[in-house]
Amino acid sequence: MMKTMKAIVVGAALLAAGAATAQAPTGDANRGRERVQMCQGCHGIVGWRTAFPEVYHVPKLSGQHAQYLVSALSAYKSGARSHPSMRAIAATLSEQDMADLAAYYAQSANPQPSTPAPKK
Amino acid sequence: MNISFEKISLVVAIAGTMLVASPVEAADINAGAAKAKEVCAACHGMEGNSPQPDYPKLAGQYPDFLAKALRDYKSGARKNPVMQGFAAALSRQDIDNLAAYYASQPAAVATRR
Repeated sequence: MMKTMKAIVVGAALLAAGAATAQAPTGDANRGRERVQMCQGCHGIVGWRTAFPEVYHVPKLSGQHAQYLVSALSAYKSGARSHPSMRAIAATLSEQDMADLAAYYAQSANPQPSTPAPKK
Repeated sequence: MNISFEKISLVVAIAGTMLVASPVEAADINAGAAKAKEVCAACHGMEGNSPQPDYPKLAGQYPDFLAKALRDYKSGARKNPVMQGFAAALSRQDIDNLAAYYASQPAAVATRR
């Protein structure tokens, strides 16, 4: 009985440790910049509005928290958020892609002087 | 004489219906600020420049986007247990006021390439 209890406790501890180490990937802003063209058609244009299914301004992303941007993309990918275009785009992104794009947008409000301009 | 009176009544009735049917009240930024202090500021910051990385910055965001997000949380179209609880308690006027207030704050977010 005690052995079984011990085994359960140890198993639970191992599971918890595994969950803790399975963290989200670290974002790379430079890699994000290479992929950001898929976002710019809407999020790179000042004042851009959606056309479907509702009309409203697409959100400003530069300077937003990276962690929030990843959670937004994940919610589109999982279907928890429903915008059709965003779901289609997020479905193509890996967790690493999301982290990279989020890292790029989080720092793009204050680009470093040494950061080269995005290639056209 | 009777006909013209009826016509006038009809016009007045239609005009009245239109006024009631489209209560487009301007958003009240001051009322939005008061509501923000009560409901939103603990997580999003009083100016909407949230210090916590999992809560989005709202300052300077487009007001129609902010209002849509709140309407979607309220309806359940956008699922977040925390936001759904707060948004459920907001009226449409509260939502417009809050959106106008946070949009009017010094911008924490921008559109950049």
